[in-house]
Amino acid sequence: MRIDKYQMNPGIWLGVIVATLIVVGTLCPSQTQAQVPARFYWKTLSGTNAVPLIFESLSGNTNPFDPAHTVLAGADFDATLTLAGYARFFPLLDRAAMAAILLPMGRISGDATVAGNTVSQSVNGFGDPMLEFDINLLGPKAQMNIPDALRYQPGFSVDLLVDLALPIGEYDDDQPLNIGQNRWYGRLGVPIVWQLGPWVPGRRTTLELLPAVWLFGDNDDYMGQTLETDPMFQIDAHLTRDFTEHLWGSLDGAWYTGGQASVDGVEGEELDNLGLGFTLGYSLNDNLNLTFGYKSTLNDDAPDDLRMDMFMVSLVYGWHPMIEGSKRLQGEK
Amino acid sequence: MKQNEKPVRLTRLPKALGIALLAAMLAVPVLAWGAETPRRPNIVIILGDDLGFADMGAFGSEIKTPNLDSLANDGVRFTNFYTHASCSPTRSMLLSGVDTHVNGLGNMNEWIAPNQAGVPGYEGYLNNRVATLPQLLKGAGYHTYMVGKWHMGKAPDQIPAARGFERDFSLLDGGGSYWGMTNITAAVPKSVFTEDGRYLTRLPKDYYATKTYTDKLISFIDANHGDGKPFFAYVAHQAPHDPYHLPRDWRDRHVGEYDKGWDEVRQERLKRQVEMGIMPAGTELAERMWFVPDPIVLAPASLYILGKKMELYAGMVENMDFHVGRLIDHLKKIGEYDNTIFVVFGDNGAEGTDLFGMIAGSPGSRDNLFAAINWSQTHPNAWGDPGTWVGYGPMWAQVSMTPFSQYKGWLAEGGIRNALIVSGPAVKRTKGSLNHELMHVADIMPTLLEIAGATYPKTLDGHKVPALMGKSWGPMLAGKADSVRTDQDYLAWEVFGNRAVRQGEWKLRWQIKPYGKSDWELFNVAKDPAERKDLAAERPDKLKKMLALWDDYVKANNVILPSRGPYDTLEKDMPQRVTVYPGFPPLVYQRQFVPPKEMLADPKP
Repeated sequence: MRIDKYQMNPGIWLGVIVATLIVVGTLCPSQTQAQVPARFYWKTLSGTNAVPLIFESLSGNTNPFDPAHTVLAGADFDATLTLAGYARFFPLLDRAAMAAILLPMGRISGDATVAGNTVSQSVNGFGDPMLEFDINLLGPKAQMNIPDALRYQPGFSVDLLVDLALPIGEYDDDQPLNIGQNRWYGRLGVPIVWQLGPWVPGRRTTLELLPAVWLFGDNDDYMGQTLETDPMFQIDAHLTRDFTEHLWGSLDGAWYTGGQASVDGVEGEELDNLGLGFTLGYSLNDNLNLTFGYKSTLNDDAPDDLRMDMFMVSLVYGWHPMIEGSKRLQGEK
Repeated sequence: MKQNEKPVRLTRLPKALGIALLAAMLAVPVLAWGAETPRRPNIVIILGDDLGFADMGAFGSEIKTPNLDSLANDGVRFTNFYTHASCSPTRSMLLSGVDTHVNGLGNMNEWIAPNQAGVPGYEGYLNNRVATLPQLLKGAGYHTYMVGKWHMGKAPDQIPAARGFERDFSLLDGGGSYWGMTNITAAVPKSVFTEDGRYLTRLPKDYYATKTYTDKLISFIDANHGDGKPFFAYVAHQAPHDPYHLPRDWRDRHVGEYDKGWDEVRQERLKRQVEMGIMPAGTELAERMWFVPDPIVLAPASLYILGKKMELYAGMVENMDFHVGRLIDHLKKIGEYDNTIFVVFGDNGAEGTDLFGMIAGSPGSRDNLFAAINWSQTHPNAWGDPGTWVGYGPMWAQVSMTPFSQYKGWLAEGGIRNALIVSGPAVKRTKGSLNHELMHVADIMPTLLEIAGATYPKTLDGHKVPALMGKSWGPMLAGKADSVRTDQDYLAWEVFGNRAVRQGEWKLRWQIKPYGKSDWELFNVAKDPAERKDLAAERPDKLKKMLALWDDYVKANNVILPSRGPYDTLEKDMPQRVTVYPGFPPLVYQRQFVPPKEMLADPKP
């Protein structure tokens, strides 16, 4: 006859708790295709910190550092992009909130045709840092302690999202292709997470939607001209499913419309594009999460259509001081 | 107008006279309903598996059991009722009316000791030397139905259909999944079910134990309803035995309610028990098990996880109550409720042992592999699903057994004393009243035989049948006596080598260390139901008398103490037993010192 040592040992549940924490593992608002990965808006324990590092390899006819997706007809770019950042989860008026900063960096090379002139160009450096704030409006309250974190189930959650990019990235007004965008821009969105079925690691399924509008200031020095961009509407959609407790995948879709750009009053095409892709995520350990994804535009045959495809690998390190302390006491580190 | 209230019309007079004559011939001497009701009552026994003394609302629980409580309100609650310490021994006495060491369950099938193997009375199944309650009721003209857990043999001559049940839908094993045929260990990987005497190859669609058992019973009742024969239904629910498998919409009815911990819930239940008259004023709670922490030392995460287990258990009980309600409603609908006797109780103390720990075995073992495949879904959000195994542990088992000491498997009051409700036409006592007299599960057989007008045979199939050990509750239910026992009558138990005798207010108990002293202990359980004070040294005279009763019991029932048992290494495996004093150590209970405000100061430069 055994006593229930298992039940008496709260440390047994650290694994569960940590597993709950690292659902932030995909924290990475990628500017590319203006789409963040699935499971980005799941909530976690207040006080959790995360550092994302995202590597992307892209090709297409638009500058991946430009969320307006201004199509440069006939252009053909290859880019390597990295996003590094920091995020913190905290309570605000009992609601779960998150603040993050992300810094894009990398290089682009390729041919671009602007005003009839085709140039080969290669640029590198730091892009425009982006500030992000998200707060949950409908759904579970902020997770103030571990029981809250263990009880968390998104159900039908609705957030308010605000992004703002600071125009301090590297910019050369002689070049059509830049890492920085030389203008203010940002986004207002309403991330939605809809839990489908039980919230059990290994069996979680969600449908996630992000309707949003991007707003752009003017770039008054775009090779000596003025670049204006109309608001762009975007809907991201993800159908995600756990394969095991540590492995999950998602089918990703994104639709963009609007965002008509004009250079000194010469209007370009409105966007009306659809992108599809998939993501696989895996928890490497209690703190580190890995995702791999591929995305590509679909209706991209015409020269003016947005054309882009992208491989992405992300690593996110998440931690909470209390959990780290508990692990030290457990001798798990 | 309800069926048993119909006036006897002249056209039915000959039949009514015939019934009256039959009743007289069957010599129903004490119970008064025979003359007042047109026909013999139906009988429903509702057995909760591991249901604790304090788990029904009618016995002080915060768990919502309105349907079971309604039976209590219509009938009588008994607070001094004894079962055995584990399931199959209790069930064997319920259905045979004779002691476990005679009826074949001298030890549980799973733990028959080398020196008991092959000895009559220790077969591990209900042996064929005893007559069974359904057998005799069937012979007396009753329909006999069983649904639920059997646990008294699997061979064709041991199953419910072979032991007197006309219709059955039965789990033959002691436990397993509520959702399917997955059993507990690699040794017995598949649960065995029978329906009407045939072994099932699969379970019905949408099977969920508690629901399906109820559905089946209702269909059995309906199939024969109207033929004029009463029925006996043995509803041996698997609930709330672990694993706590539960439909999703029953899992979240007590969210966070148990995060306060077991001590507070025990105190609340005891307070209600005293207010309800179930326990006398001044009753002390049993000592918290020495290896169970005071909840105040636990972090919120631990309280949440452990509390959630109790949330599930409460859901199990409430779900069972819901299905009992379905049965009650159906009987009302078909006009049988008022003519039905209900007997409700739990088969032993609540389960405090880590059964999953036993099942899962050690890494590398076959049981561990089996558990990895079948029972490894451990996330709290999955609890209740197939593939999960949740039991609530010793701390909550003590809550279920408030105010008693210990739990299932042991002969402390927490292992063998349980709540009992009896209602129906046999009960002439004040509705909703309490009775505190000494009663025993083996009393049920003579009681129900008397109610049914059946007699207990001296021989069966050419062999002598052992005498019934219990006493009919007839005079007591009829309100003609408070107790069916004299001060000289005694009860006794033995299982797994642990022993006990109860006579009057006194209880003699021998339990292996550290749950006991591996020596005889003596308690006055009337004054000390929590068995806190061992009086063996103070009352050698009483000890001697009780020991003589034990010897008498051993001889009368051929009690063979097991040469091996589940507890043999327990003293070595468990934390050393220490006395638990409230408030000790102060290190744990002290508070942050707050200096007087007027004496606060910043450091001097």
